[in-house]
Amino acid sequence: MIMLLTGMLATAVLAGGVLALAALGEVLAERVGVTNLGVEGLMALGAVTAVMTVSSVHSPWVGLLVAIMVGAVGGMVFAFGAVVMRANQVLCGLATTFMGLGLSTALGHSYAGQPVETTFGHVSIPLLSSLPIIGPALFGQNILIIPIYVLLPLAVHFIMFRTRHGLNMRAVGENPAAADAAGIPVMAMRFWYVTLGGAMAGMAGGYLTLTYVPVWSEGMVAGRGWIALALVIFAGYRPVIVTLSALLFGLVTALSFVGQAHNWPIDPAFLNMLPYIGTMAFIIVPVVVWHRMRRVMAAPAALAQPYYRDVR
Amino acid sequence: MATRAFQRLPTAPAGRILALRLVAIAVSLCIIAGVLALSGHSPAMLAELILRSTLGSRFGLEDLMLFMCPLLLTGAAVTVCGTIGLWNIGAEGQFYAGAIAATGVALGLHGPVLVVLPLMTIAGILGGMAWITVPTLARAYAGVNEIITTLLLNFIASLLTYYLTTGPWRDRISGAQVSTQRLSVSMPEMWGIVHWGFPVAIMIVVGLALVLSRTRWGYEIRMGGANPEAARYAGIPVRLRIISVMLLSGGLAGLAGMFEVAGTVHRLQGGMANNFGYLGIVVAVLARGSCLNVIPAALLMALILDSGIVMQTQQLSASVILAITGLILFMIAIGDELAHYRPVATTPAKGKA
Repeated sequence: MIMLLTGMLATAVLAGGVLALAALGEVLAERVGVTNLGVEGLMALGAVTAVMTVSSVHSPWVGLLVAIMVGAVGGMVFAFGAVVMRANQVLCGLATTFMGLGLSTALGHSYAGQPVETTFGHVSIPLLSSLPIIGPALFGQNILIIPIYVLLPLAVHFIMFRTRHGLNMRAVGENPAAADAAGIPVMAMRFWYVTLGGAMAGMAGGYLTLTYVPVWSEGMVAGRGWIALALVIFAGYRPVIVTLSALLFGLVTALSFVGQAHNWPIDPAFLNMLPYIGTMAFIIVPVVVWHRMRRVMAAPAALAQPYYRDVR
Repeated sequence: MATRAFQRLPTAPAGRILALRLVAIAVSLCIIAGVLALSGHSPAMLAELILRSTLGSRFGLEDLMLFMCPLLLTGAAVTVCGTIGLWNIGAEGQFYAGAIAATGVALGLHGPVLVVLPLMTIAGILGGMAWITVPTLARAYAGVNEIITTLLLNFIASLLTYYLTTGPWRDRISGAQVSTQRLSVSMPEMWGIVHWGFPVAIMIVVGLALVLSRTRWGYEIRMGGANPEAARYAGIPVRLRIISVMLLSGGLAGLAGMFEVAGTVHRLQGGMANNFGYLGIVVAVLARGSCLNVIPAALLMALILDSGIVMQTQQLSASVILAITGLILFMIAIGDELAHYRPVATTPAKGKA
């Protein structure tokens, strides 16, 4: 039983990391009032460029860095359309996803199916990794776990809710006209946070191929970008909660692995549906059960609305 | 900041939109040609080959119509949903659900074509409707974002198709992978390999345009989309209208799946939706909320898909088409926004920021 729990938690932490990164990046973008539906495509681009990089430069850090940069450039392309040109955010996001998925498949054609040799290796932190159940999961896997689950969310939380810059940032998402009047650069704020969110989506893709699933194949992102978007809504646009829900979500994924490993009498196809069914339940059930949820976890007021200074 | 050379209009004139879209497509084509040239292909030769083998040949034209058929229906599905201000990103899943339901009828019932085919049609429509039921109710009664719920169901539908075609319904006769056996019933052909689903789809799109513009129901839908608060105040049951529109949308996408199974592929296959559901979104965007515009929009999209086949013969990956579609969609989104701006011939503004 302890073995099972330890194994499940380890898988959950590993699988949830992809979602935690992408969802945290999306929290940044949505808090300044921009819905980036391109996460799925940016993740695919990050995943494939990480694989391509490490096949010639044998360093996982360089691979991750390239994935981050590619994600940032993709985020900038999206932000150019959705923020600078003020085009429809849903369309720009879908277009970014199409471009990302199409390009990543075309780029990764000759890398498909080959195992990635350079990945983030196992790191075990002495003492902490021998803690029961949570030790191996948090301190005995790879070096990125602690930054993803602890450092990044806490840093984002601190900046967003404890600094003046964070207050400005949230003002841009709630009421851009008032923020503009107060001298906050609305466009710059939106552009750079969307870019940062894109960089984190790219990093999530790189993390996916450099730790969790070390092989590139077409369609391997498999809706994780969309699940991350759903988690942002579920977590009410809060950085720490979104990270915890990514972990909870990792557990759902781990459940389907455990089921396959223990030969549960359910077809693997149905076990593979669990993450998607779980996400649906995540975003529907709380609202149905607890009606106030919609107000407590409300979206930023100006979400998905382009800002025009001269139109009133 | 001193001069304001452009003024933003609340609604963009149609002529300007058309002009800017042509510019957007031209810009996209230039970017694509540039990328192709850089990767060692000759864009001019490729363009000639594409034109010759799509519009210039009988087979190309037949393929074009076969591609148009599902695109018309999925495009209409996204368009009707858009009329009430909602996004149905799940046409892909509803397409699979319709295809699965229709295949189930064809595999389970053995009878004359005149009985089985209508039953398959009904099953396809109901399958698509069933697939959108949960997002519909969640949207109507709990206000849950329909973009994400409809989209997640796509993955579930695709996994279900995979399960059926490798498990209980797998082809035991010819042993084809991830596929059912060839169905005994098929849609009658009309012109070459083009089946009767094509004219039916055109008729459905025209009919929908009439219903949306000429009936009370259509008016209430349009009003609910334009201003939900005013619609509610005027006594329109917006919630019921949302439910009926979303179910209609799911049914249309399901019908597309049924046509594809019965007319084109003749079996249920993994991956048979071929992104038709997602491309339906592009068709709907191109159509700008008008059902009649869905016809030329589907034609353009079918042309792009058709040229994808040609590009595959030239050692270009089929996924390039998805990237190209994305690029065109992106450029058109920007073009549509720019169409709102009108140059204003004024001297530098005085004192006003």
